[in-house]
Formats: sequence, structure tokens, C-alpha cells
Amino acid sequence: MSEASRREVRAGLEPSLARLWRYALVLSRARDVTDDLVQATCLRAIERADQFVPGTRVDRWLFAILRSIWLNEIRSRRIREGGGFVDAADALTTDGAREIEMNITASAVLRAIDRLPEAQRETVLLVYGEGYSYAEAAAAFGVPIGTIMSRLAAGRAALAKLK
Amino acid sequence: MTDDDAELVALIDNELDESRRTALMARLAADERLRQRYEELRETGAPLAASFDELLGQAPLARLRAALPAGELVRRPSDRFGGIAVRELAAGVVIGLFAAGLVAWAAWSLGLIGGKEDWRTAVAEYADLYSNDTFAPLKPDQALEAAELSFVGAKVGADLTPENVALPGLRFTTAFMLSHEGHPLGVIAYVDPTGAPVLFCIHANHAADAPLRSERRGDLSLASWSRGGRGHLVIGHMPEERAVALAQMLEKRV
Repeated sequence: MSEASRREVRAGLEPSLARLWRYALVLSRARDVTDDLVQATCLRAIERADQFVPGTRVDRWLFAILRSIWLNEIRSRRIREGGGFVDAADALTTDGAREIEMNITASAVLRAIDRLPEAQRETVLLVYGEGYSYAEAAAAFGVPIGTIMSRLAAGRAALAKLK
Repeated sequence: MTDDDAELVALIDNELDESRRTALMARLAADERLRQRYEELRETGAPLAASFDELLGQAPLARLRAALPAGELVRRPSDRFGGIAVRELAAGVVIGLFAAGLVAWAAWSLGLIGGKEDWRTAVAEYADLYSNDTFAPLKPDQALEAAELSFVGAKVGADLTPENVALPGLRFTTAFMLSHEGHPLGVIAYVDPTGAPVLFCIHANHAADAPLRSERRGDLSLASWSRGGRGHLVIGHMPEERAVALAQMLEKRV
């Protein structure tokens, strides 16, 4: 299995790069962090390729790795260092200084997404950008489906206000 | 956000179970305000999808590809390309960035076990890793295209401009550098209308002049020639005659 695992992981890296980058940008909202996060994800995936189950989706396995690195290593370090990241579940407002980096080229919709708390941003991305079902998103985040529903509703409600 | 928003959004996303769906549809039929809210929320769907697509198009693919970790063996089926053996493809590291980060000078080593195959084989193996998603999202403006071509042209000793590398039916996406056996290898990547990649490669390998020739390797067509100490190759999933026609145009201009 490990040979097949390594082959599938390696073959799955390049086709997933742009989507990994998008997920990293939506999570971090900082382009200087985004490339590092994608590269760290690829490295970790190669190191742990034996853990990948052949025949399952490489892209979603990579997303899980990216999210884990973000939550457990990069974001937590930035919070410790006073980097200004707000805990997703408790966020009432976003960190204004960080909005700028995505806003340079973003549409009004992306700016609205950017202003959502982190948990809402990534839920909206995975369901509407990546095609996760509610159940798949709930499993990926380890939350009830009702929480996914609330996050998506909040995201869409914020966008509806643009009109 | 209203109390009903979560259920309305789940209805829009076709994620409500039958009983909740039926109940909500009954309420919608009787409640004008609720129907308005449903429409407001539903109308956010298309802009959301379009915005995420827009973001995907901004990904710096060339830079990300160049930074893929090194050292992993890519094992190919032994019968690929008519019996070519397992290859080792070792990706290197980025040593410099140019032009808003969209062009990377990457030191790649395209190692060939056995050493009897030429650089075209290395490129064929490498090109076969690309998919329709690899280059299609890249949409550089003309200034960036000119800058990338100028950079690659300087590395391989060729005069490359948007005009002299333009090819009918193909859209320029990016130009970047690799190396093979220590010699610079410039790659100009196009996509056809379906997003399928076509590569024009220039290898500054000091090779003797050789006339245009073509061949098929698996699903790929290759057309190559050497002139002025450089090897040239057009490669892609297309009929062999098409590869030859593209190569003949480039041979006259580059």
C-alpha cells in the first residue's frame, strides 16, 4: 500500500497547488504566509504519504494537512507572538490590518468574505468553492451539521447585505 | 441574519431532509417576506462561486510548482512511451523570483536512469505530469508576458517576444526556467481552448544543428530541431502534423 500511497500523493500535489493556495489565503488572509503554508503542506504530505489511503481523495487529505498546520503551528505561533489573529469561534470583528493584503485585487464579494470570521470563511470556501457537502464539512471541522448551517447562513447573509 | 436563514440556505443548497424541506416549502408558499429573504440569499450563490474562481486564478502557480519539495521518486509505469524504464524526477528549489513572483528560476534536475535518452525524453516525462488545470488559470497581461519571455530568452540566449512566440489557436500562459544536465532549459507554456497544455522548450545545450523531425510518444506529439547551439521542442497532446506546423512557425521566428 505504501508504494501506491506515495505515488498517489506525489501525483496529487501539483494539480492541487492552486486550490491549496486559495485555502491558505482564505485562512491566513496574508500572502506572505500563504506560500509557506502551501509548501509546508506539500512537505508534510510527502513525509506522511504512507498514511494516505490509496483510492481516497488526495486533495481533501491535503486540505486537512494544511488546516492542521495552520491551526496548530502557524496561527497558534502568531497568536503567541501577538500577531493579531483572532480565535475563529469568538471573533466578532476581523483584524483590520490584515484585510489589506487580500483586498488589493479582490472583488466586493471577496472583501465581504474576507471580513467574515475565520470559521465562516473556511466553511464558505469548502462548501461553495470546493463542493463539500454539509456532512463532509462537518466531518472535516469536527462540528455538528447545525454549526455548518449557521456559518453558511451568516456568510450568505453578509453577502446579501452588499446589495 | 434572521432565525430562518440557516434553513433557507440549506434549502438552497439542497441539504434539508425531506420533512424539513416540506415544512419550509409550505411556509414559503404562505409567507411573502420569507420568499423575499429566500431570493436574497439564493442570489449570493453565483457571485460566491465566481469570486472563488477569481481567487483561484490569482494563484502563483509557477512559483508554487517550483517550490515543490525535492527528493521524491516518481515511478512511472515501465511500459510508458514504449518501454522507457522507471525515471527519477527530482524537483529542486527556487533560487530566485522574478516579475511579480510569477516566474521562478527553478533549478530542476530531470535525471534519467541509464542516461541513453535525450533531453526530449526528460521533457516528455515532465510534460506528461501537467494537466488541464496546471496552466489554464494563468492569464498574464502583455507586460508580464513580455517580461517573462525576456527573462527566459536571456537565460537560453534567444530573442523571445510576445509576437515571435505567438501561435494560432493557443494562448500564452507563462514562461519559466528549468535545467537539464546543467544546461538552461526555457519553457513557454500555452493552452489550447480546452486548457490542454502545449509546451515550447528551448534547451541551451550546444547541440549541433539538426533539421526538424517529429515523433509520437504515447499520447504526446513532439517536433524538434536544433540551431545556433540550442535544441527546440514543441510538445503536447495533439496530432503530430499540428506539432510540426507549430514548430515550423517557431523555427522561422526564433
